[in-house]
Amino acid sequence: MVIGVKIAVKVNIVFFASLKEKIGQNSHLAELDLPITIGQLKQQLSNELDKGDAIFEMGIQSSVDFEFARDEDLIPIDVKEVAFFPPVTGG
Amino acid sequence: MIKVQEEDFQVDLLYKNLLQANKTGAVAMFVGLVRQFSDLPKEACSFELEHYPGMTENNLQAIVDEANTRWSLLDVAVVHRVGRLSVDDQIVFVGVSAAHRAEAFAACDFIMDYLKSRAAFWKKETQGDEEQWVSANAKDEQSLGRWAK
Repeated sequence: MVIGVKIAVKVNIVFFASLKEKIGQNSHLAELDLPITIGQLKQQLSNELDKGDAIFEMGIQSSVDFEFARDEDLIPIDVKEVAFFPPVTGG
Repeated sequence: MIKVQEEDFQVDLLYKNLLQANKTGAVAMFVGLVRQFSDLPKEACSFELEHYPGMTENNLQAIVDEANTRWSLLDVAVVHRVGRLSVDDQIVFVGVSAAHRAEAFAACDFIMDYLKSRAAFWKKETQGDEEQWVSANAKDEQSLGRWAK
């Protein structure tokens, strides 16, 4: 890895359940300068979206390409979709 | 077999599909239903179940895969409904067949526990004119501690 090099990618960000309603949209096409973490993406989204602060609410979880992710996880370069959602309540 | 669907499911058919001739000694099954969750008439109460197509199926498959590594199982079926559900409707089916009952009971319990806290479903309750997203239950998360290796 070459230190200091940024790679720009466009990534589909999707929202679910109560978070989708609070943000007021299902999805958002974000331009990311990788490498960034999920936590840094949250900060970017809170700046880009009118009601993006909802993403910082307690318990909001995330996934990268259908796998659960954590705030400290780096978003991979071949990422297709990142999702944010409240704790799950199935069953 | 893992399915996420709007349609109802038939327990007897799911049960028969879990059986393997000469091998199955035990089948454990769980069915979750919508109970009446307010004092309003049951016609005024319903659920809307949302999921994340692609991720939800992945989550369920990962849970079933983990169950198969922990116990010797013959077959597993998970069916979870989405969309609008009314009081008394079936929500979820988990069925496990095995040679012996201990494995079948444990794996069925394990899969339901993980489904509650690690599969991408969200419930929204309707009570009359009011709608409200259901909050996650801390007890569901705590229950996962039972399965720590």
